[in-house]
Amino acid sequence: MTNKPFGLLAEYKTPGELLHAAERLRDAGYKQFETYSPFPIHGMDNAMGINDSILGWIVVTCGATGLLSAIALQTWVSTSAYRIVTSGKLLFSFQAFVPVCFELMVLLSGFGAVFGMFFLNGLPQLYHPLFKKPTFRTVTSHGFFVTVESTDPRFSIDDTARFLHETGSTAVEVVEE
Amino acid sequence: MSNLNESPRLTGFLANGLPKLLFAVGFAGLGATAILWKQNPTQAAFSYLFSFLVFLSLTIGSLFFVIIQHLTRAGWSVVIRRIPETFAMNAWVMSILFLPIVYAIKTLYPWSHADIVNADHLLLGKQGYLNLKFFLIRAIAFFAIWIGMARYFYKRSTNQDTSGDKQLTLSMQGFSAAAILLFAISVTFAIVDWAMTLTPHWYSTMFGVYFFAGSAVCAFATMSLIALTLRKAGFLTDIIRIDHFHDIAKFLYGINIFWAYVSFSQYFLYWYANIPEETVWFQEHFFGSWNTVAALLALGHFFIPFVVFMSKHARRNLKVQCVVVIWFLMMHVTDLYWLIMPNFSHTGIHVTLTDVTTFFGIGGIYLALFWKRLASKSLIPNKDPRLSESLHHHT
Repeated sequence: MTNKPFGLLAEYKTPGELLHAAERLRDAGYKQFETYSPFPIHGMDNAMGINDSILGWIVVTCGATGLLSAIALQTWVSTSAYRIVTSGKLLFSFQAFVPVCFELMVLLSGFGAVFGMFFLNGLPQLYHPLFKKPTFRTVTSHGFFVTVESTDPRFSIDDTARFLHETGSTAVEVVEE
Repeated sequence: MSNLNESPRLTGFLANGLPKLLFAVGFAGLGATAILWKQNPTQAAFSYLFSFLVFLSLTIGSLFFVIIQHLTRAGWSVVIRRIPETFAMNAWVMSILFLPIVYAIKTLYPWSHADIVNADHLLLGKQGYLNLKFFLIRAIAFFAIWIGMARYFYKRSTNQDTSGDKQLTLSMQGFSAAAILLFAISVTFAIVDWAMTLTPHWYSTMFGVYFFAGSAVCAFATMSLIALTLRKAGFLTDIIRIDHFHDIAKFLYGINIFWAYVSFSQYFLYWYANIPEETVWFQEHFFGSWNTVAALLALGHFFIPFVVFMSKHARRNLKVQCVVVIWFLMMHVTDLYWLIMPNFSHTGIHVTLTDVTTFFGIGGIYLALFWKRLASKSLIPNKDPRLSESLHHHT
């Protein structure tokens, strides 16, 4: 046990207790902690002190890039690079550009949303220390868990474990890296 | 959250004073219209048709909201459902307000003149559909469908307020599938009859969807505005919460993008094909200052709200929502004005006194009846089986 552990894993019996524990951890000043439950719990973002995701801004930026590049590409192609008069329409016909503008905007927004979400969540992640914990397997059916990571400045195995017990955890164990 | 067993009622000025005031405005407006009608029947008839369609779209859009909530078994919307239910019930007054249009058929619709039809090969071909008798039969059918459906949902919903019978919810859900079909067909044909045949040569398969999308925008915006008014007056403040306003705003935002998509598609296909008999309509609607109005619609109906209302924070801010829904309503009225009036005022936009008198005339009566009916029953379906889900709704 010379290596620094990943952190502490604490189990709770009900979603209410989990929510309450998250609030206690947030108020105690912990930042690097995570909650796990079989289903989404309303108010958990707030209880954990998580701010709004910046994903929306990533999507907007990607969408704007798609829109502007579609306008630029089509304007350049139809008015200078490859000038063809189609059924008597003007070379610069914004009406004809709209479908491509829309598609490229949606495409890049979609990429931004999916890959931005991957990036913000640290995905793909092929290994996680919790996979080694047999107790953690109940998280997909009826287990409610908190992990406090050792990277948190307030983390200390003894104090944090005691604190987790105080919040109502039924079992606290160390998770090795 | 303790209101499950009480039925909140509308009282005070909104229930008593406001309907009286609105009736006064309505009758004054209609009276003034009647006087002005003699001076310039054509102008008055087109103004009347425009104002009629504004309030028809509100009725239609509200009916759509009610049907779609039952069709999808939506739980979130229970606390706001009484508002669109009440608006849809105004279908009967729209059927009476349709009578002046029947009176003005010859003024409005070129296909109603035998000499024009006989001199026109295309109109002769369409005579089997576009004739006075069939036009009236269809109008009766449309109103019968709308009044029938509005009553079906309203009666069951309000009966449930006292009986609490869950079977009523099941029967409304069962009927909603047939209702949405009847709705789509009747609205499409109605607007084709009443607005598209103003230019009887021209046709567009998008026209019904275009009107429907605008109607939904109008109805959702009005619903939000009524709920905001109730909130301001101190009704349902802890029942219709930010989460419900947020969901109305999302629905409104989505359907407005649909409106933009449909209206652009209609234009786009005709622009590409560039066939004279199809582009003639746009030539009229893009002529002179009408072109500016069309550009304003693209910018104001779609682009500005698209940007302003994109953020969750904007949608959850009731002050912002209030401004945006009023803006949407103004844009919807402009949209219908642009749809109807170029058929009369060919050279450009020209707002006249009858536009105002008909709008306030029909609007006054319409809204007075709305508030009266809203005050006559519980403000929410207070024994709906999904009420609890709606009260605890979080987005």
